[in-house]
Amino acid sequence: MVLHYYFHSLGHSRSKELKGNPITFYADIVNAMLIRATGQNLQMEYIRSLKLLDHVKLLEKPGKIIPSGDIAALVYLWNPFTIVACVGLSTSPIENLAIILSLYGACKRQAPLAAFGWVIATHLSLYPAILIIPMILLLGYGPDTPPRKLFLQRRNVEVGDNPPNDRCCEREEVVHRPEVPHIFSWRPVIHFLCWTSLWSVYVLVLCGISVKRYGGLWELFKRTYGFMLTVQDLSPNIGVLWYFFAEVFDFFRNFFLIVFHGNILFMMLPLAIRLKHRPCFLAFVYIAISSMLKSYPSVGDSALYLGLLGLFVNELADMQFSFFLFCGYVGVSLLSPVMHNLWIWRGTGNANFYFATAMAYACLQIILVVESVSAMLNHDRMLRKPLTELQDGKS
Amino acid sequence: MRFKMYGSFRCRMVLLLLFLLLDCNFSNCLADTSSEATTHTNNWAVLVCTSRFWFNYRHMANTLSLYRTVKRLGIPDERIILMLADDMACNARNKYPAQVFNNENHKLNLYGDNVEVDYRGYEVTVENFFRVLTGRHENAVPRSKRLLSDEGSHILLYMTGHGGDEFLKFQDSEELQSHDLADAVKQMKEKRRFKELLIMVDTCQAATLFSQLQSPGVLAIGSSMKGENSYSHHLDSDVGVSVVDRFTFYTLGFFERLNMYNNDSLISLFSSYNPSMLMSTAYYRTDLYQRHLEEVPVTNFFGSVMEMIHTDSAYSLLSRKESFRVEIKMSADKSVPDKKRLMDNPSDLDQISELNIEDQHGALKRIWSTIQKEMEKVEDVDAFVSYGLVLIVPLLAVSMWLTW
Repeated sequence: MVLHYYFHSLGHSRSKELKGNPITFYADIVNAMLIRATGQNLQMEYIRSLKLLDHVKLLEKPGKIIPSGDIAALVYLWNPFTIVACVGLSTSPIENLAIILSLYGACKRQAPLAAFGWVIATHLSLYPAILIIPMILLLGYGPDTPPRKLFLQRRNVEVGDNPPNDRCCEREEVVHRPEVPHIFSWRPVIHFLCWTSLWSVYVLVLCGISVKRYGGLWELFKRTYGFMLTVQDLSPNIGVLWYFFAEVFDFFRNFFLIVFHGNILFMMLPLAIRLKHRPCFLAFVYIAISSMLKSYPSVGDSALYLGLLGLFVNELADMQFSFFLFCGYVGVSLLSPVMHNLWIWRGTGNANFYFATAMAYACLQIILVVESVSAMLNHDRMLRKPLTELQDGKS
Repeated sequence: MRFKMYGSFRCRMVLLLLFLLLDCNFSNCLADTSSEATTHTNNWAVLVCTSRFWFNYRHMANTLSLYRTVKRLGIPDERIILMLADDMACNARNKYPAQVFNNENHKLNLYGDNVEVDYRGYEVTVENFFRVLTGRHENAVPRSKRLLSDEGSHILLYMTGHGGDEFLKFQDSEELQSHDLADAVKQMKEKRRFKELLIMVDTCQAATLFSQLQSPGVLAIGSSMKGENSYSHHLDSDVGVSVVDRFTFYTLGFFERLNMYNNDSLISLFSSYNPSMLMSTAYYRTDLYQRHLEEVPVTNFFGSVMEMIHTDSAYSLLSRKESFRVEIKMSADKSVPDKKRLMDNPSDLDQISELNIEDQHGALKRIWSTIQKEMEKVEDVDAFVSYGLVLIVPLLAVSMWLTW
């Protein structure tokens, strides 16, 4: 009910500004609703896995478990970045809609929806292609759970409790425990890949027909993906690539293009290995990294991952530097337009003023990613502690 | 044995005759196609004034008037080489500084804002003139001073100054001889630096200057014949000197009533010269020029009127296939059927399917090729694409319902 009231008030305030084009507004509303649904799904999984682990301490205080879906939806809607992207009629809300649609579909094990969202997100901007790894992990393993070896340890402790006098009794004990989803199920993944290819063929056929007169699909790829990958236009933006590529020598330009884009790719595999039990969080980290290192970032991208950050408030409650990050974000978002104005419109500043704010923004994003990952891993370690105490108590 | 030899000899003669006939045909075909193989691509103008000193004001006015005419009819500065041997506009004796007139009514200032002189003053020499014509420059010579014509160019070469029997005087110190000019034109023809050349000379005994020419594709007209002088038109009492020559005056009179879209023929220009008004006989030679003068418009040399190919779509000239097809069009038959264009596209799209980053399955390539053929049949693109976009939502709903 509270959320509906918030939507109403938001709607009245925003619809006045968006006179002609309410698409971005409705996209943001749908984004918030999908984030909320995803958050509810994740939370159910979290409570279920805590029950499986008999994590008494956390379960005893239900007030401590904050409804992460609602928080995330509110954070997304009231984020000034989201409002700015919506009012500025940027296409970021639509790209975010595609990404969130794919995440929601994957959480709900809806392969066609997830495939559709992923294909549209990759079509609109190239970088969500890296989300295929979290998609596959989500469809194979299921939503975020504590690490699998905790479940195995729990089971060992349980088995250790009852001495194996009667084999059949032991088996019953084991059977009575609900199955732990630590097996990677390939069926949803195969479905997902099939639906991906179907949707991509559909989209490519439509694109091919509509750009038939203008040189065909190859021309389309050259001018959209090729443009993003080769960084043709060096207008200043809130990213860090334009400044660098304005001064790089032509001989090294291709090398540095590969380095910058490889920077995103190199981080994919280690993170996937470390966070494979938490695919939603992995998707959040990938989105944060890509929105920092992509060739043309915008505030709409950070609106997305700041909203998704709200999904993990329970796990990231002990994150360090949270106040510093908050102040940093506020400061950068206030200073950055000022420096841009000083440089471009008044001519009293120079590019370094603006680039300093862009660098500070990149540093803040890096700190956010690093701290959130370490907070998540600390949370997992914290979950392990009572089990080790139990084991230690035994032995 | 004798019969056999005779028979073989006859066979050989017959073969030889056949071979010669074929050769003739072949060379005829070659000759025919060689002249039609190149199309007219651009127009150039080389306008030379060779006289210095203040009293030769009219030669500079002649050249500047023709410069203005040629620019008005469409040849841009990049394709005009203007050589002026002296500076009358800023001469200390010019009562109207930075202004050059070709008429005593002073209606037209020839030296306006938009005059680009490529060779000025002491740079106008016989050597530089030949370097321009033949294209043998030193490395440091800038592009604006070079005649960058190609085998499809039509060049107008206008020379004015003091001349005589088989020569033209440059800068009051050296001469351009007629056989040197013929040699330069021969070099140009061999290096394929022009398709057609019109030489227009306004000097005394002008017709002798091009008497030695032998290269095909050259048309020449001079203001006077051997033994005749060319006279100035009138004296401007305000400026103090004669301001225009008769031949150029009547040429300008012909062009002033023309614009780019007129197709008055060269014969009308050449026959507009009245010997009694010119006080000399304007002589032209057409023996080296294949086309009939009635068919050649004056803008063939004096202007730059190009054939336009209208295309509907904005980007069709960007793809490599299209540019290649334009080159094919340059040959004899212009009727490239549209089917060829359509058939070329599937090969293009086949390459795209290989580069498709999302396409991992080989069987999809077959589906892709069948889809391509369907795509070619689609006429109304925008409506089809919008239907496709609208169709996405029910498709999504159906797919979700199927896999619930």
